[in-house]
Amino acid sequence: MGKKRITYEYTHNGVRESVLRHAKALRLPEGWGEQIAERIATATDKWIDDKEIVTEDDLKNFICKELDGISSDIAFAYRNHDKII
Amino acid sequence: MSDLLSIATIILAGIIQASLQLSLGGLVLLYHSSMGRHKRRKTRYLAKSYIWGAIAISFVFVCAGAFIIQNYIQQEAMQLWQVICIGVLIACALVMLLGYYRDSKSTELWLPKNISRYISRRARRTNDNIEAFSLGMLSSFAELPITMAIYFVVANCIANVRLPLLAALIYIAIVATPMMILKFSIKAGRNIIAAQRWRISNKRFIKVFSGSGFVVLALFIMAFWVM
Repeated sequence: MGKKRITYEYTHNGVRESVLRHAKALRLPEGWGEQIAERIATATDKWIDDKEIVTEDDLKNFICKELDGISSDIAFAYRNHDKII
Repeated sequence: MSDLLSIATIILAGIIQASLQLSLGGLVLLYHSSMGRHKRRKTRYLAKSYIWGAIAISFVFVCAGAFIIQNYIQQEAMQLWQVICIGVLIACALVMLLGYYRDSKSTELWLPKNISRYISRRARRTNDNIEAFSLGMLSSFAELPITMAIYFVVANCIANVRLPLLAALIYIAIVATPMMILKFSIKAGRNIIAAQRWRISNKRFIKVFSGSGFVVLALFIMAFWVM
């Protein structure tokens, strides 16, 4: 028996909130954090638009790549938050 | 063993335990997830509760251990326990040196996946001080396979000094030091990512430091307890 595949529906707000949470954890000014989160969520919307299905890793990689160009600290937090312990 | 040697052993054991990464990693996780959701003041209280939880369980373990050693373990059996303890310390040193971290690019530890996932999930969902306190206790508890021998050494020293409470407090203060340093550096305005980057870039040093610490402690016990 194969592994059960869990799927989630992509939402603009989901990406926005997760980036914003990391920005807040880094104590970035709230307005700036929101701007970054909105920019990333909009870029992700465009990227995902022509795709039927994407994996969680693909989505995470894309978001991290976009964040690399804006704030290396948030990109680092986003990439490593599940690898702390 | 004289009081001075016992205190020196306690300090060495405390430093080794302070260099272990699970409790500190749990605190980093708690800070990271809490600062994204709560106000600074609440995050500070959660971190404080976590640290109290982590040190409370260490305090309970060493005090209970000292009580058991003093009242229930006979002197003849003690030597056997000490030899076992040396063996466990050497095994811990090997574990530290060869396989403490799971991955070369992160600070992920070789914990069973479900335990590390559980701690991560609890850290993300911790909203009040009691939860943070029990998370601190849990992270100390999860470190038990490595810290068991350290607790035994400290408990044995505490059972044999004239001021056991002072000895226990010295040990607890040393164990809490890395967490307190993290707490104060966050309070002073550094962000949690700087701390995590520091942990990653110095993890090899920490690994060698802890591993050789275990070996030194084993040699120390061999020289002053067993021989």
